[in-house]
Amino acid sequence: MTTNTSMSSFIQKTSAIQKWSRRFFMAAAGSLAISAAAGLPAFAQDAEWQKVVEAGKKEGKLILYTALVGQPSTKQIAAAFTKEYGIEVEILEARASEIRERVRVEQAAGRFAADVMFTSEGQTMLYDKEDKSVDPLPVTPNSQKIGDKFKLKVPMASVMTIPYGIMINTGLVKPADEPKSWKDIADPKWQGKILSDDPRAIGAGYLWFFSTYDKIGEDYVKKVATQKLVFTRDQRESQRRTARGEYSIYMPVIMTDFSDLKGLPVKFIIPEEGVPYVLYGNVMLKKAPHPNAAKLYLDFMQGPVVQKIYAGLGYGPVLPGMTDGLPADVKAISEAKLYGTTDTTRQNEMLAKSKDIFK
Amino acid sequence: MTIIHNRPLDDIAETAPTIAGNAFTRAFSGGSLWRLIGMLVLILILGFLTIYPLAMLLYGSLHSTPPGMAGEFNLNGYRSIMTTQNLIVLANTVGISLAKTIPSLTIAVFLAWIVARTDTPFRGTLEVLITLPFFIPPILTAMAWGMLANPQVGVINMVWRWLTGGTDSLVNIYSYGGVIWHMCQYSIPFLFLFMVDAFRAMDPSLEESSRMCGASRWTTFRKITLLLMLPVLTSSFMLSFIKGIETFESALFFGLPAGIKVITTDIYESINHRATPDYQYATSLSFAIMGLMFLLVIWQWWMLRGKSFQTVTGKGFRPSVMELGPWRWVTFAFCVLFFFITVVLPIGQLMLGSFFRFFGFYTYDMLTLEHYRNVFANSEFWRAVRNTMVLGLLGATATMALGAVVAYISVRTRWRGRNLIDSMAWLPWMMPGMVLGVGFLWAFAMLPGPIPIYGTIWALLLAYIALGTPVSVRVMTGAYHQLSYDLEECSRVHGATWVQTMWRIMVALAWPAFAVGWVLTFFGIMRELSASILLYSVGSETLAVVLMKLWANGNAEQVSVIGLMMMLLVIVFRWVQLSFIKARISKL
Repeated sequence: MTTNTSMSSFIQKTSAIQKWSRRFFMAAAGSLAISAAAGLPAFAQDAEWQKVVEAGKKEGKLILYTALVGQPSTKQIAAAFTKEYGIEVEILEARASEIRERVRVEQAAGRFAADVMFTSEGQTMLYDKEDKSVDPLPVTPNSQKIGDKFKLKVPMASVMTIPYGIMINTGLVKPADEPKSWKDIADPKWQGKILSDDPRAIGAGYLWFFSTYDKIGEDYVKKVATQKLVFTRDQRESQRRTARGEYSIYMPVIMTDFSDLKGLPVKFIIPEEGVPYVLYGNVMLKKAPHPNAAKLYLDFMQGPVVQKIYAGLGYGPVLPGMTDGLPADVKAISEAKLYGTTDTTRQNEMLAKSKDIFK
Repeated sequence: MTIIHNRPLDDIAETAPTIAGNAFTRAFSGGSLWRLIGMLVLILILGFLTIYPLAMLLYGSLHSTPPGMAGEFNLNGYRSIMTTQNLIVLANTVGISLAKTIPSLTIAVFLAWIVARTDTPFRGTLEVLITLPFFIPPILTAMAWGMLANPQVGVINMVWRWLTGGTDSLVNIYSYGGVIWHMCQYSIPFLFLFMVDAFRAMDPSLEESSRMCGASRWTTFRKITLLLMLPVLTSSFMLSFIKGIETFESALFFGLPAGIKVITTDIYESINHRATPDYQYATSLSFAIMGLMFLLVIWQWWMLRGKSFQTVTGKGFRPSVMELGPWRWVTFAFCVLFFFITVVLPIGQLMLGSFFRFFGFYTYDMLTLEHYRNVFANSEFWRAVRNTMVLGLLGATATMALGAVVAYISVRTRWRGRNLIDSMAWLPWMMPGMVLGVGFLWAFAMLPGPIPIYGTIWALLLAYIALGTPVSVRVMTGAYHQLSYDLEECSRVHGATWVQTMWRIMVALAWPAFAVGWVLTFFGIMRELSASILLYSVGSETLAVVLMKLWANGNAEQVSVIGLMMMLLVIVFRWVQLSFIKARISKL
């Protein structure tokens, strides 16, 4: 699937999914070939889409910018896309604010270099409203099939959700004491034992703050603030610190990281209330140099091949029915109830609140 | 020994014929047309590399929106930084920077003196080894120190508890001390590298005269050695202090959990962690800091004005070392202790961890070579190595060449405009890296379409040259301050052309400094992320970008493998370089 063997462990982990994906891919390609060979009358829409497919193939190339840094799945998906359409994908990765500024300044200088940006719902709102750097979404075959709650007002073609939960050190937390819900975090027995992503800055900690403040209430958040939380801004290193026994609990943790930490004395807990999440998807950048390839990519990302890849890693798919046959632990995370996410329009207000509560 | 007034230089200036001509020629009086053109070209190059990106940032600080967006000019950015909170954070930052610069400088001077001027055993090997941490990405040493010195399960504290039987912890890295210590980990080797050749190039006859006049070793060290080192010392202090104000990783990693705030974490937050990046705030704050920093540069000019620090003269000198007798084992022990604490402890952790599945979990069943295999088989890594090597070799050479020219003009001529180019070369050092990176992005992207810099490898190269110039100029300034004018004059009197003189005297005698500057710049390029991430294009990833991606994805062990490989490269470079220096010194 890929020449990058740094992904070998990842590939092993997801081999079952890939087999499935390959089977699906073969079946889909097969049926497409059969229907084409049979010369069935295509609907006008299909004919339109076929034109996009042909034009995209002619363009032959796609420039993808992504704010999801360092994920091997990005390359895996790009390879699958190339296999499907013969379109090469060039990927540029940088953190959210960096890549957004690059796009903004590139466009301001008349350099329309990128086709698609993979980013979050919140960022899309900024791309759209402030930078005006995105085009309206195209209607593609798969865009109709995704779950209704993922059809957004902002011009982003939803792809998957990143779920956040609680991580504990199993050497320090007895099974009976394990926190089961977000409310348990406020229990005084955890005072000084919680490592937390910083809720005073945009990031995972703030996502937790935003959703629990809205759903449980200010009193709860204030109670957690008295727990002497220790703040950090490095997700992966914080997981390791907790695994090494510096803290009993780390929250909120990216649930999909559970597979990378297998073998360490840690447990990932899906809170009873559900998982705060970040919705990721693709936007079409203005004056994309390869607009048809971009449309194909947007569609491909919402199709079953990619949706299965993400579900197999524990992300929440936007296309229903993608978690069948997954191992139980992955399935539980992938299907975890979505609890809440942030609202970009309220960010200044909520950041100020968080800074006030977590001085 | 006192510092003497620089008579020859003043004489040259006073006796130089006044040149008639237009205002422009007069502005650069005393030179031919070629000199004028040369100077203009230099000003243009430096202007493009330093003033242009800073001008874009200045625009950003005075405009309600970043370049390319509709908005209005206002002073809101500067107004918003004038808060009591920021003043406290500034005081805190200055305090932290001073607290790390003073001990760092003291230790670095002591180490440089031991290595360059004494007969301490194994000093050649120690010279390479004690500088190693400088070349490792800060995030790795931060992780290593986090594992060694966290209060709960840090190795040092566990050993301490085992020894004492108590439950208290000896050290806590997540504290002011931790932040300062982690910064020292970088500033001591940097300052050591920066100064060691200045110590080496010193004529020992001055020290010997002092000793013969009855001064003690300590008085000699203080009144002769240190005083002669004044240009290098003040440059070192400023480079280190300013960098301390701008350091970011240590404060974010160790300061944040302890509630310690510094200016750069505030700037970082205003760009990366607000609802919308507030570039006006970030740039205004950076310019305010820059203004304060410039006062320091003026202070250094004032201090060094009209004085001579020449120690390398036409007289042959025997670069002998001070014989310490039994004390040499004390200095040796000091170096070994320093090496153990700053190198063996953190690098040992990284090395050990790279052979296990997870850092800190050292059981037999976790042993693996997987991380090495993954790195070696990563095609993106090799592509980044190729890119970084090309950029490093070209960038470091170009930066040092530029630095040497600027330093030469600034130190060894009386040309008009020399102070201008000297201050232009300082500028990039005074702007926090993450803000300057944005400046380069704005500057290069906004160039007219036909100038193909943005989106190419040239953007990275130019940014690296700009970022490296302050160090290269400082290194070469220190070296040129030490060279006596009679060497140049002698060469010219004997019929050598200006180019021959430059090559034989100014290059040949200053090249050890050039080589050190080159290594510093090369590895600066290797580590640079702030500008790289904003300027790299598909296919031109640098090593720092690949490291960032691996780190972001939780592959700390693979990052360590690469960090260790970078360190090996340093050992090779330094070994080659020091062998050459030794060969040259023995010929002198």
